[in-house]
Amino acid sequence: MATNNTKEATIRVQRYNPDVDKKPYFEEFKLDVGADTTILDALEEVKGEQDGTVTFRRSCRHAICGSCAMNVNGSNMLVCNRRVEEVLDGKGTVTIKPLPYLPIIKDLVIDRTSFWEQYLRIKPWLVPPDDIPEKEFRMSAEEVKALHDAEQCIMCGACYSACTVVGMGKTYIGPHALLKATLRVMDPRDSATDERLLEISGSDGAYRCHTIFNCIDACPKNLNPTEAIETLRMLAIKRSSFVEARKERQKTLNDPIKH
Amino acid sequence: MTNIITHDILVVGAGLAGTWAAMTAGREGVADVGVLSKLHPLRSHSGAAQGGIAAALNNTRPVEGTGKRGPLEQIPPGDEDVDSWELHMFDTIKGSDWLGDQDVIEILVKDAPDILYEYEHMGCVFSRTPDGRIAQRRFGGHSAPRANYSADYTGHVLLHTIHEQALKHGVKFYSEWYCMDLIIEDNVCRGVIALDIETGELHTIRAKAVMFGTGGYGRAWKITSNATANTGDGVAIAYNAGVPLMDMEFVQFHPTGLYGKGILMSEACRGEGGYLRNGDGKRFMEDYAPDLMELAPRDLVSRSEQTEIEAGRGVGGDKMGIYLDMTHLGAEKIMERLPQVRELALEFLGVDIITDPVAIQPTAHYSMGGIPANADCEVLADADGNVVTGFYAAGEVACLSVHGANRLGTNSLLGASLFGRRAGIAMAKFIKDGAELYPINGDPAAASQAQIDHFKSDPIDGEPEKYSRIAAELKLIMTNKCGVFRDDARLREALEDIKALQERFKNARVMDKSNRFNNDVLGAIETDHLLTFSQVIVESGLARTESRGAHSRTDHTKRDDTDWLMHTMAHKNKEGNPDLSYKSVCVYFDRFPPQERKY
Repeated sequence: MATNNTKEATIRVQRYNPDVDKKPYFEEFKLDVGADTTILDALEEVKGEQDGTVTFRRSCRHAICGSCAMNVNGSNMLVCNRRVEEVLDGKGTVTIKPLPYLPIIKDLVIDRTSFWEQYLRIKPWLVPPDDIPEKEFRMSAEEVKALHDAEQCIMCGACYSACTVVGMGKTYIGPHALLKATLRVMDPRDSATDERLLEISGSDGAYRCHTIFNCIDACPKNLNPTEAIETLRMLAIKRSSFVEARKERQKTLNDPIKH
Repeated sequence: MTNIITHDILVVGAGLAGTWAAMTAGREGVADVGVLSKLHPLRSHSGAAQGGIAAALNNTRPVEGTGKRGPLEQIPPGDEDVDSWELHMFDTIKGSDWLGDQDVIEILVKDAPDILYEYEHMGCVFSRTPDGRIAQRRFGGHSAPRANYSADYTGHVLLHTIHEQALKHGVKFYSEWYCMDLIIEDNVCRGVIALDIETGELHTIRAKAVMFGTGGYGRAWKITSNATANTGDGVAIAYNAGVPLMDMEFVQFHPTGLYGKGILMSEACRGEGGYLRNGDGKRFMEDYAPDLMELAPRDLVSRSEQTEIEAGRGVGGDKMGIYLDMTHLGAEKIMERLPQVRELALEFLGVDIITDPVAIQPTAHYSMGGIPANADCEVLADADGNVVTGFYAAGEVACLSVHGANRLGTNSLLGASLFGRRAGIAMAKFIKDGAELYPINGDPAAASQAQIDHFKSDPIDGEPEKYSRIAAELKLIMTNKCGVFRDDARLREALEDIKALQERFKNARVMDKSNRFNNDVLGAIETDHLLTFSQVIVESGLARTESRGAHSRTDHTKRDDTDWLMHTMAHKNKEGNPDLSYKSVCVYFDRFPPQERKY
């Protein structure tokens, strides 16, 4: 709730413009924050009132667009849905850096090119069966529930840039795209199961995951990419029987779900 | 001269309308389609829509004998339908307070089921009925359950689905490119000037057809549900290029924005049975809409809230809020159907809606007005229906007008998708029928370059002004003087205030003088846009001496069909001010004649 009780906070921002700076450096800004001031509110105030050159991405302000993932005190998060008060250290300071492992475009703005390339690589679109019904395909509540994690992903990159495997090389498909792959693999309407499971079983795929769980800690939507990767590994092992089961399921996709 | 890029079709904006248009044009055989977006396409504000997308699918109905507000069940096979496109049409017309064009509304409601099934066939994950059909809930002003949903993040799943399809069809996206200017000469659209945000380079993009799907203009208010990107760039750029703007005075205030923040708490909260209570704990909607209660249309609910607040019956520190109470719904239902809004209330106000009511207030939400266009999304040059050759608009930036004076919830996702698809089909036909790539004279990017240079320069007289402060002052003016309730005196004050801010803006400058990812310059340009169209909103509202839908005047409290059953058209004149003219509304007097609007 809005409050008049404010206190001074120090916002420590990593600055870097590759056109003029040899290397990144930190700059500190002091401002008064209230109990409900978000980290994004603080950055907006810094930019609007103190230094217009401070550069960051943002848009929706409520954790659905995925623009504002950054590294705050060493942890990846969205800055729009976290309050400054929760992240201040004992001295009243918070340190904001761009997402790690990714090229910096300017200040807190990173280059997500490799992230989107991996997203494209898993062919994120549905490959529907040949027989399209006049109305909707029928899906059970359980089948929909199995897609919940993957469908809620906002593609912010917090998991990707927290992943040490990504840190070692950008050929890894990555937690975001593997999670997206489960959205298609687990969907009874998808007909490219075989191809998808082959792709994710390759040397850049699900088996590269070291199961360190950084992606789970980083996800601002409380999703579980590691579990999705485990699921993909399991399905890859029994690929042929899973593909057969999918073909069988698709024969009844136009029929009412029976209980 | 700038670098020149050419496309058959160039779409500006990558939300539902723009992406549907691009994907459809690609599918219709136009290979050369480009999409410009100032954000990455998946950051578009369509993704923030929560509660549902309308279509009379007849999947659910109230359990027999429980009345209109009873629990919903799936309609067993063979049982009678409860819904129809005719009913959807009537609800939309009544919701629009008869300002919606009925010929276009008819297209919207008749094609609605088809676009829903197309989304489903593309892999969109919808919530389901027990027998596996798309789940439907109630929404305000709809007389049957026809809000098709995916929990409370429907816009998110629709946006991701259509983006995937556009990629599949080879659409070329220019991610983080900003449209600076629209090139129209002799009433023919020839392309746009675009800024590659990362490099700071300007490009001239020539195209046979240009479409705007740039979204709404809600950022002109302090309390708003809109993303920071929703600065009405499309309306301002088109208006500056000589295109008229239609019905700009109609801006929807959503009844449930988080208190002090404006962030959207979905109408699905009430669709699933949530109550609104004033400071006395009373469900006050019984005094305003005894039949539909909390599920009256948004304009009516927001006015009711504002009336309670102004009577001193609000809640919260400054008594400017109202309680949204869902504590009787139970944890299971909330976790299954309203997981996102629960998170939002927890994160931003520290309230768990399972156990406590949450404070909300009306929040600027949807722009009914915008760039006038016909049912094929061709932009209108005037009130007679002549079009600007090669220029199209769909989605919130456009005014077709399906939403009239007040949009019903769930009709926006429908309208953006469906008219985006129609724009794609219309543009593909335009190209295949032999559209030309018209020449551009002179250096078309000169004005854009001058604008950027201006903001980076030092003022000739006096101190530089911060554009961010001017924007903040404008938002306060619009909230206080051009909000839920309006009157002549407050609107006149608002107009004077805006003109004063426009004057001050001449000295607005940026601190960031670099070329690379300079969103300081973008912020200044966006503020310029806010100041431009806010004047049009206020002048259009001043002239309209009636109350209709979301335009509610305390000095003219009645709808006036004799004098005002017409659309406002605003053209920018030589002095930079809007000249107002009026366009007739398509009303089927035999089928849906104007009647008193009661709920």
